[in-house]
Amino acid sequence: MEIIEENQGGINIYKLNGRLDSNTSQSFEKKIFQAIDDGSKSVIIDFKNLDYISSAGLRVILKATKALTREDGKIMLCDMQDYVKEVFEIAGFDSFLPIVSTMDDALQAF
Amino acid sequence: MAKNKVSFKLKSNLSELDALCEHLERFGQSIGLSPKCIFEANLALDELFTNIISYGFDDRSEHIIKITITHQDDNLVFSIEDDGVPFNPTKAKAPDLECTIEECKIGGLGIHLAKNLMDEVCYQRCKNKNILTLTKNIKETEPKKKRVKN
Repeated sequence: MEIIEENQGGINIYKLNGRLDSNTSQSFEKKIFQAIDDGSKSVIIDFKNLDYISSAGLRVILKATKALTREDGKIMLCDMQDYVKEVFEIAGFDSFLPIVSTMDDALQAF
Repeated sequence: MAKNKVSFKLKSNLSELDALCEHLERFGQSIGLSPKCIFEANLALDELFTNIISYGFDDRSEHIIKITITHQDDNLVFSIEDDGVPFNPTKAKAPDLECTIEECKIGGLGIHLAKNLMDEVCYQRCKNKNILTLTKNIKETEPKKKRVKN
């Protein structure tokens, strides 16, 4: 999996490319927690090019969201493919994670 | 309809998830499964496989997990066989999906996903092996054929 990291007006943006499973979730966890530890409070995860997610990937997103919420930060998830979104729905995560359609919608939330 | 069957072995290592995906894609494409169906089968098998290698073995030696996929009529039947400690995922406690974010725990989520993506999950303990049999009806998930005018 490839993770492209960008910063736009103080918002940390992670563009995920490929598959987020128990093989690849650790490197993503490390990256996102490095930013949170460094004081980042605004995070967008761009799912546009993510083809696959398993519960290991959901776990990292949940953990990051909890950490950011505790620090009064905010996370937005955007541009999910239908199959990926379905995984969030089956897990019940769509009820408490902010999932929006486009990157513009995500940026406007800050 | 002809019966298609494929069988392969995976080592007890997370890096085998890529091999699992390749086997599923190859088999799925050969029988014309929709990408959605391949995705769902991949996710269910990934979760159960990951669970087996994370909790199934109490030694450090390498184990083999055997996977068989059978396609007959409108059903796909997956069998996952391992020689780990006895574990019946069909009896695992379901996660609380009504929880708030702070209460939400990740335990049991993988099995919950697998059960939801399959129509039937059966467990057997046989000759010191765990055998999971998953059935997925693929009638509705396959793209509808276009009607051809005569």
